[in-house]
This record gives sequence, structure tokens and C-alpha cells, in this order.
Amino acid sequence: MDNLTTNIKRVMIIFLIVFIVLISYLSYFTLFRGPEIATRPDNRRMWDIRNKVVRGTIYDKNGKELSVSEKTKNNQYKRTYKGGAATAHVLGYYDPQYGISGLENLYDSYLSSNISASFMAWVGNGFKEVDKKGDDVYTSLDLGLQQTAYNALGSSRGSVVVIKVDTGEILAMVSKPSYDPNKLGEIWKQLSTDEQRPLLNRAVSGLYPPGSTFKVVTGVSALENIDGIEKETFNDEGKLVLGPDYTLSNDQGKAMGKINFEQAMVKSSNVFFGNLGIRLEKNLFKTAEKFGFNRNIPADGIIIDNSRFPKYDISEKGNLAQAGIGQAEVLATPVQMALVAQTIANDGVMLKPVLVDKVVDYSGNTVKEFRPDEIGQITSPGYAAEIKRFMRDVVAKGTGTRAQVSGIQVCGKTGTAQHLESKNPHSWFIGFAPYKNPEIAVAVIVEEGGYGGTAAAKISSQVMSKYFKK
Amino acid sequence: MTKRLKTLQFLIYLFIFFGFLNLAFLGKPIDPMAGVFFAVITVIVAVTSWVLKKYYPMGDRLIFLLAMLLCSIGMIMLFRLSRTTAVKQLLWLVIGIVMFLFVVLYLKKGLVKYAGYRYVFLAGTIAFMAMATFIGVEILGAKNWVKIGPYGFQPSEFGKIFLILYLSAALSDIKSRKQLIEPGIVIIISLGFMVLQKDLGTALIIFAVSVTMVYLATSKKLYVLISLGLFGAGGAASYAVFGHIRKRFMIWLNPWDYVYNESYQLVQSMYAIAMGGLFGRGLGMGHPGYVAVNESDFIFSVICEEMGLLMGLAILILHFLLFYRSIRSALHAENNFTKLLTAGLSVMMATQALVIVGGVTGFIPLTGITLPFVSYGGTSLLISFLSLSIIQKVSEGDE
Repeated sequence: MDNLTTNIKRVMIIFLIVFIVLISYLSYFTLFRGPEIATRPDNRRMWDIRNKVVRGTIYDKNGKELSVSEKTKNNQYKRTYKGGAATAHVLGYYDPQYGISGLENLYDSYLSSNISASFMAWVGNGFKEVDKKGDDVYTSLDLGLQQTAYNALGSSRGSVVVIKVDTGEILAMVSKPSYDPNKLGEIWKQLSTDEQRPLLNRAVSGLYPPGSTFKVVTGVSALENIDGIEKETFNDEGKLVLGPDYTLSNDQGKAMGKINFEQAMVKSSNVFFGNLGIRLEKNLFKTAEKFGFNRNIPADGIIIDNSRFPKYDISEKGNLAQAGIGQAEVLATPVQMALVAQTIANDGVMLKPVLVDKVVDYSGNTVKEFRPDEIGQITSPGYAAEIKRFMRDVVAKGTGTRAQVSGIQVCGKTGTAQHLESKNPHSWFIGFAPYKNPEIAVAVIVEEGGYGGTAAAKISSQVMSKYFKK
Repeated sequence: MTKRLKTLQFLIYLFIFFGFLNLAFLGKPIDPMAGVFFAVITVIVAVTSWVLKKYYPMGDRLIFLLAMLLCSIGMIMLFRLSRTTAVKQLLWLVIGIVMFLFVVLYLKKGLVKYAGYRYVFLAGTIAFMAMATFIGVEILGAKNWVKIGPYGFQPSEFGKIFLILYLSAALSDIKSRKQLIEPGIVIIISLGFMVLQKDLGTALIIFAVSVTMVYLATSKKLYVLISLGLFGAGGAASYAVFGHIRKRFMIWLNPWDYVYNESYQLVQSMYAIAMGGLFGRGLGMGHPGYVAVNESDFIFSVICEEMGLLMGLAILILHFLLFYRSIRSALHAENNFTKLLTAGLSVMMATQALVIVGGVTGFIPLTGITLPFVSYGGTSLLISFLSLSIIQKVSEGDE
């Protein structure tokens, strides 16, 4: 009992520790987990706050309305998506019941900003409450081009991405199958259970083997790492024997004979590029990562899932060869491949893809304005120019002739990507135009669309025609 | 010291002035009732401080001010939530203060003489702990309320005080291990009744208080370890036997899986705190309506939503300071009974604050108890001020 005083001090210290632990937890909870918890779609408080303002309008590049809010009779707001199914994924939806997605979600703090109803506005309104209005968002999308791309895909599944070469602005971003965001209530159940996953934005979240479109990356890597590759000749016998039970073949096993680097690209020789994959080994991994594979690509208005390029050991010759032609476990999003094309077209400089040109508040002040932002110099202008020339030949006289547009010199690379043996391959096309001073870069994928030179190249041609017709 | 206390006192006036000024302008038209609240609380602080200074200059006058600061925070929030609740709470506060002054001024010196009432305390403990099991009504999942006519109260609140009184008496002259058997049984019976009434929060507090008091009296860490072991075993057994305890754990571990059902209350509380952020959304700007029992068990969450993390931290720090000053006054007491009594009461209030704040933030499984001095509740407020008066008396040098 004499120790009572000591004991009391000990108890004091224990409680001090427990208080400090709880204080730390509370601070951590509020400051670090709080923002993510508060924006959960089932948090009704956010909807109450949003419902106090007329949500801002989303416009396309030319000032056409894409998503608009109007007050209904019972003081609620109804959001109308004028772009319909064509812009469904890229703009997203906004619904108290189903939540919030896409650009509506990423720019929610602007669209539902309620600080715009200022004190002066209140005074100006004779001290009566002013209808609060959120900020308007002007996107870089071109509704006409978007609709062309959407229609060009037809009933196929897939995606089209169009990026402005010298600014990184996204002019069109389509994903199919799509849905009508104006009818969410009626179709939600079907949407959320459909095996084709119509809610998924394939442009940023669809991971596909890039197939031969990846040869652009392999090509850059070869130019950077193998001296004199341009002058080498190679005897393409139609297949590359890598082991007793493994060979890599060209399409239909066609032997191309003595070819050089340029011819291999134009004719899309798997044997040549498979061989490069083995020779480049870790260097190809490095080049792929420079192009954004395995990385978070910075973007504004979209969130891009990481594309993948695995690290294979020199002993895994089969995988190295497959990776060289964009197969094995190499996976890319359509927007990633569009950025590869954009980089080549832009003298090797990759630009941050952006969806928003500016944000304007209710009184006309520009709150936020877009400026082109470089991700980095991915490869030298010289190497980019060389690949560019090859890509011009691909469309002019190689596998990509169907991507041609009359009066415009189009460059590109086709891809026919194997995924499941039982299914048709995916049809890919990436490209840009015009050859001199490129303006737009395009990536097209048609799921199970067969040859890249057919389905995807045709869609690219339609989209580019629409762009250059203006 | 006196000068600093004066400053603190002035800051309290300033705090309630601006708090109620803000509340007055929230109403349309301007609400004069806020002025009444400001006046009443100011008078309470001024008069009580003056009395304490005049008659007991040796006592720890910080303790009272800390408690009043907590009370003011609670009162501002209650006024914002519901006028009628706030008025009732203000009445309880006045009654609590009268009782506090009565104990401090008129109770004869020498609390130690109450140590002789050991068996009265024992009977009180058992009676109050048991009461709700037999004549209680179930509120919010726990059967811990007793209704007499239109009035209801929580007998376990009184049970806790009796238990602390009893343990102080029983443990104050402990010499052999055998003498621990009787208090041990009383503790287990009390815990048992709480489990039967599904009042897990109170069970946790009884446990923490009892273990601390036994340790203080015996200096044996072994007893603490044994108790923790038994508590763990008891907890595991209850987990296996009682569905509602399993549910509590399930909610605690995966609150986001049952957002619309089982964990609705906890999730709404977490949203409230998350929405508040560092500075809060501002008084009257939050959505306390989504938080269940927002005036008592969950008052901490709605305070955090409107007044921010900063006010939440202030409450925790104030409670720690109150605990520190309270248990420190136990060091001044000259006999074991008084020392144990003071320490027990201090631990009770601190544990209660820790358990409910830990619960509403999802740090520990949620149990419904009040936040001392802040939550609405007559019984809770009276018990808190009763405890405070005993601590105050001890701090003056009781002999």
C-alpha cells in the first residue's frame, strides 16, 4: 500500500499513452482516410450538399452542351446527357441512387462548387437567396468526332481514342458496348450484371494484348540499343524455332525471305521482331516502361489503368520473343497505345492526356485553364522520325492500306492480337496524320475483330476523314 | 496560478459568448434564447469559481474549469441540435452544480469515515447493477433503463459509483490474498449483470476501473494479467454464446460491408467525422440528422462534423487534463480509502471518454455510453458532477 503513489503515477502514464494513441488515430482517420470516406457514393451528405447548387454544365470543344442540369418541379435537379450513349463512359453519370463516375466524378468539386454565389450576388439580388450554380466544364471533346467514332465501331465491342498530337487534348474517347445514361433507372440492373461489362470504360481500363502495334515500341528500343540495326538484313523463313516444342510464326507461316528493319515493320514480320525481343531482352523492358507501361500515366479528367510489361529472364526465350511482338503477358489500354502513336508523331515527346480545356464559374471567370504538359522526351526526334517513316509506309503500301484517307498522308501500325485460342483475335490500329506536321493520333481496338488491317484500320480511316473534312 | 486561472476563465466566457452568438444568428429571426444560455453558463462559472476561491483557496480550481469547458462544448452542440434538449440539459447542469457546491461546502471533512459503510456500498452496488435486469426497459439494444412514471434513469450509472465506493472501502486495508475474494465476487457479479443487460460499454468501464483499483491497492501486476486473461476468456465465451456480441465485432471489422443495415449508425458517425475534416463544416452547416442518438452516444461525431477535428482533439485533451488533475489530487489524500476513491472516479470518467470516442470512430467495437460532461443525459451529468465534487473535496486536502 505504500506504493500507492508510485502506482498512481504508473496508471497516469498508461492513460496518457492510451489518450495519445486515440488522438493519433482520430487525426489519422480524419485527415488521411476522411477524404476518401466522405466521397463514398453512399454518403448522403455529399448529395445534400450537391443538391443545393445547380450543377455546372459540361460542354464539348465547340461549346455544345453535353451534360446539363435543370431544376424540376419538386426542387430537385435532373441531369440530362445530351451526348447520350456516345459520351456515356468518358463523361460518366451522376445519380443519387447509382453514384457518380467518369468526368462527373473527377470534376465534381467544380461542377457542384457552391462558393460561386458570392456575398455581392446576394446583395445584388436584394438580400434574397441566390440560386447557387456550379462551375461549367469545357472539355476537349469534339462531339461530332466522338459520334463518328462511336458509329464507326458499329455493333462491335472495343474502343477508339483520338488525341491531339501537339497538345495532348483528348478529342474523342469511345467505349463499346455502351448504354444510355439518361435511362440509368430502367437499365441499371441489366448493366451491372451484363457479362460484356457495358459500364467499363474500355479506353482507360480495358487491358488488351497490343499485338503488332507494340512493334513500334520494340522498333524504338532496337534503334536505341542495337547499333546499325537499320542496315542489317535478316532471313525470314516464316518461323522462329525457339525450342523443341516452341516456334513463333508469321501470319499463316508466310516466309518473307531476306528483309531489313524497315521491310519487317511494313510487312509486320513476327519472326524479325520476335528475334529483336530476345536480342533486346531487358532493354525492351526499359523502353516499354519509358512509354508508360507498368506506370501511372498522369492525366487530367481521366484515370488510366496501368498497362503491363512483365520482366522476363534471358532464359525465357519464348516469352521474350512474344513480348517483342506485343503478346505473352504484355497488356495495354487503348489510351496507352494512342499515346505511343502521339509520342512518335510529336518528335518523341509524350504529352499528358487531358480531357478538360477550361473551367468557368457562374460569373464567367475562368477558374482553371489547360496548358499542354509534357510527360517527357521518350525517344530522340531522330529515332521518332525513322519510325514515323516506317509507319507511313505501313499505311501507304504495307498491312495498313485500309487506313488511308484521300488527300491525307496517314501513318500507322496494325495489330492482330491473339488472346484466347478459341476466339477471333483482337483487331488493332494505331496511327497519326498527316505525315508532315501531324495533328491527331488515333488508337482503335475492335474486340475479336480479326485482322488489324481490316476492321480497326477502316474505323481509323473513317474517324480521320471526319476530322480532316472540316 | 491565480492569474492563469483568471485568463482561462475569461477564455471560457469568450468561447461561450461566440458559440451562442453564432447559434443566435442561426435562428431566423435571431434567437434570444441563446443569450439566456450564455448568461446562465457564465453565471455558473463565475459564481462557482468565486465560491471555490473564497472558501477553498488550497483546492484545485482547474478541475472545475476543465469540466465546465467540456460542458460548454456539449451545451453549444445540444442547443444547435434541439432547443428542448438543451433547456433540459441546462436544468440538469444547474442541479448538478447545486449538488456539487453542496458536497464541497457542506459535507463534513474527512471522507474516510465513510469507509465504514462498506456493506451499505456493497448492497447498493448489487441493487443498482441488478435493477435493470429485472425491471428495466430495452432502449437501443441494451436493457439498462428503468422508468418511474414519465422519468427514466440508468441504474448502472449509480451502480458504478457504489462499486467504486465499495472497492475503495474493501481494498483500503488489504493485507492478505483472501481479502480479495469478496471484492472479486462483487466485480464479477456486476460484470455479469451488465452482460445480461447487453450493456457492454458499462461492462468495459467497470472492468477498467476495477482492475486499476486492485492494482493500485495491491501493486501486483500479476492480478492485472490474470484479470486481462479472464476478461479475454469471458469475451471469447460471450462471443460464442451471444449473437449480438458477434454482430458488434462483425460491424467493427467490416463497417463498409453493411452500410445500409447493421453498421448504419457507425458508418453515419464516420461520415460525419470525415465530412468535418480539420476545421469542421461550421455550426449549423452539417447533417447531424443522419447520425443516430446524436445528442448522447454520438455527440462526439456531430461535434467533429460541425466544429472539426480540432474540437474533437480539444475534447480528448480536456478529458486527459481533467483525468490528470483529478488523479493527481489523489496524491494529496492522506488515507487509502480517499486515494482509491479519487483514483477510481478519475479512471471511470477517463475510460468512459476513451471508450465512446474510440467506438464512434471505429477504433474499438462500438458500445453505447455517454461522453462525460458533453453528452445529454441527466443521470450521466449528475454522476459526473458528483464524482467531480468528491475529487474537488479531496484536492483541498480533506483531513
